[in-house]
Amino acid sequence: MTSVLAELGRVSKSYGNVPVLKGVDFEVRAGEVHALLGGNGAGKSTLMKILAGLIAPSAGRVSIGGAPLSPATPAQAQAMGLYLVPQEAHIFPNQSVLENICIGLPRRAEAYRTRIRDLIAELGVALSPDAKASTLEIADRQVVEILRGLVREAKVLILDEPTSALTPHEVETLFERMRALRETGHGLVFISHKLHELRAVSDRITVLRDGYVMHSAKMSESGDAEILAAMSPGVGALRERRADRARAERKTLEVTGLCGEGFVDISFDLHHGEVLGLTGVVGAGRTELAETLVGLRPRAGGKIALEGRPFLARTPREAVRQNVVILSEDRQQYGLFLDAPLFWNTSSLVHYLLPFVLRPSAERARFEGYRKTLGIKCETADQPVRSLSGGNQQKVLLSKCLAAKPRVLILDEPTRGVDVGARNDIYELIEQLADAGTAVLLISSDFDEVVRLSDRIAVMAGGHLVGALAGGSSTDEIAQLAFESKEAAHA
Amino acid sequence: MLERIARERVATLFLVTVIVLLLVGMAAPGFLSARTASIIWSNGLVLMLVALGIFPVILTRNIDVSGGSVLGLSAVTLGLTVNAGAPLPVGIAAALGAGAAAGALNGGLVALLGVPSIVATLGTLGLFRGVMLIATGGEWIEELPQGVKDLADKGFFGLSAIGIVALAVIVVVWLVLRTRRGRWIFAVGDNREAARHLGLPVRRIEFFAFVWAGLMYAIAGIAFAAQIGFVPNQAGSGLELRAIAALVLGGISLLGGVGSVAGVVIGVIFFTSIDTALVFLKIPAYWNDLIGGAMLLAVLLIDGRLRIALEARDRAARYRRGGTQPSKSRDLEEAA
Repeated sequence: MTSVLAELGRVSKSYGNVPVLKGVDFEVRAGEVHALLGGNGAGKSTLMKILAGLIAPSAGRVSIGGAPLSPATPAQAQAMGLYLVPQEAHIFPNQSVLENICIGLPRRAEAYRTRIRDLIAELGVALSPDAKASTLEIADRQVVEILRGLVREAKVLILDEPTSALTPHEVETLFERMRALRETGHGLVFISHKLHELRAVSDRITVLRDGYVMHSAKMSESGDAEILAAMSPGVGALRERRADRARAERKTLEVTGLCGEGFVDISFDLHHGEVLGLTGVVGAGRTELAETLVGLRPRAGGKIALEGRPFLARTPREAVRQNVVILSEDRQQYGLFLDAPLFWNTSSLVHYLLPFVLRPSAERARFEGYRKTLGIKCETADQPVRSLSGGNQQKVLLSKCLAAKPRVLILDEPTRGVDVGARNDIYELIEQLADAGTAVLLISSDFDEVVRLSDRIAVMAGGHLVGALAGGSSTDEIAQLAFESKEAAHA
Repeated sequence: MLERIARERVATLFLVTVIVLLLVGMAAPGFLSARTASIIWSNGLVLMLVALGIFPVILTRNIDVSGGSVLGLSAVTLGLTVNAGAPLPVGIAAALGAGAAAGALNGGLVALLGVPSIVATLGTLGLFRGVMLIATGGEWIEELPQGVKDLADKGFFGLSAIGIVALAVIVVVWLVLRTRRGRWIFAVGDNREAARHLGLPVRRIEFFAFVWAGLMYAIAGIAFAAQIGFVPNQAGSGLELRAIAALVLGGISLLGGVGSVAGVVIGVIFFTSIDTALVFLKIPAYWNDLIGGAMLLAVLLIDGRLRIALEARDRAARYRRGGTQPSKSRDLEEAA
């Protein structure tokens, strides 16, 4: 019998009259990875924040290492050997990596330097303790968080969606680190939306829905259908890829020899009603390319034609006026006005079309239309976007793009941090848009998603277009192109 | 070169100050002397103390605009107690107590009740000035005892008692910011949520920053009363904005998490030097604000442009690096 490192007993939590958790039992055992799955708003994050002392439960027991967590503060939870690696790494951009890791510890940062150097070597990452944290890539920021936990001698590590910003290669590395931690008797909680990832490393799985535990068993004894049914009954698995369709001959966008920040000599055509998947690893130059197309970044050379006529957007405004629209990969930072009402967000991209004196009723009606087609779950059109779950926020972001009546729609990671249910809705929507003639450029690091949606697939590596594949190619073919080209580039 | 100027704001500002002083020295012989240095130091004392007070508050990404009012309130507390016959140490203790209490009120509003700091301190800015005016009935406090004025008298190596206190404060802040806990102050301003996650006592840190600020304003109030020998009913008014301007000039980011004591000191000295130089150049005193404001804008504008240029260069370099790697692979293709 393995020992229990942390335990939640009959934990409940309500915000006002809204119950989020309704008597949840959860435990983390030594030498085990415990997968935690659930849709957006199922209560996963709240549950883990309670375990980490960031939120006090309304009722129920929290214990770490056999002793009750008291007082319920993050400092106490850390002292008792538990560390929560949040979904978005919390870093202090103006301090060094070393200071970032050691802040809050009882001794000065320098005292931990050798220990941290050893840990960095053990994890097999290239990270300089003296680098300024603002220069770190997302994946390295996550490593900083994991190091924080390890330096604090945490026996329990909670990883909240650690893979959402990582490329498949980095994910595999992370899994190896997780397995190594498991071998050394650590207990891990792994939160993810991706079932195959959970299956790859987890020993045990718990599924939450609407604040209840719907399923909790050994991973090996839980079937995919069982897990998905527990998470969102009626949805089933992700829908199958639709049949291949004849490609329209009409070219909506022609890009020839385009150069810019982070990419060189890119040429491709995007046809009327086509979904072109653009994939590769992070840093391949995909986002830079997309942002150059809509005028967010300067163009260094090359030609772009929109429906046969030269197209040059120096600002995003010029692009939007010609119905070339981008959905940003970071909805929190670049996509949404989080404190503004939902309907403001829907109108925000087409603000220049609004009358001089605003007519909120017309804007609400516009939002209402999108709410129905996209299935946005909300109470009123006037509530702030911040109050919605991730999947619904993403749908609001989509409504903003659709309001501009895109001829060319560039989707940069359209399902990041979105649960299976909302993901299905978004996939369906993308297909409908393509059927209606919109040319869709789908940028995604999720190879399954690219294969699932694309009529053709283009792969970028190191700023170059390294290959084109037909729709329905296997993810292995994509991975081969994306990684081998990357390695060749580094050689 | 560009890089040095932008990255080492403090050194650059120091150089600019020296150049300005040298230029004034050429225009007005007799300006460059130990006496001028001493005048600049004592003229800048009050501003220095107020700036050192606001400094940790700004590091935690808050702001305190009530400094001038707290200064006035403390000066009045000192004046009323000593004029009522209390011994000087009691008066000083009362003034410090008033400052700390005012700071605790600010800190309580911000850290405990969660009122945004600009709102809270705009409110207390009026509140403290009002308390002061009610306490004096709107009158000036004149004829302070000699003991108070003596605090501003040069003694030890040409430094007055309050001058020595100011020096000590500079050293204390420098030392504190070098400790483990000192770094917490930066951390709270750099990323509040991260600090909370790591279990730092965020609210307590914010609270103490405000109490510290109140204490410093009180010392500034004592210095103010000692230097001019009476307390006008507008004592300290507007000083907080000058102090914030000096901090910005010294490279302290209003977004929190960035700044150094050296920056505070040089920012204040730069401002005071300009005022003092204008006197030597026989420019009427009512020109001071215009010239001070113009200098501030000029420095910040140049600094801002430099930063933008530097960022553009870094960005270009990053993408050039990114672009050279694949070009190698293209050579391989061509070779193949």
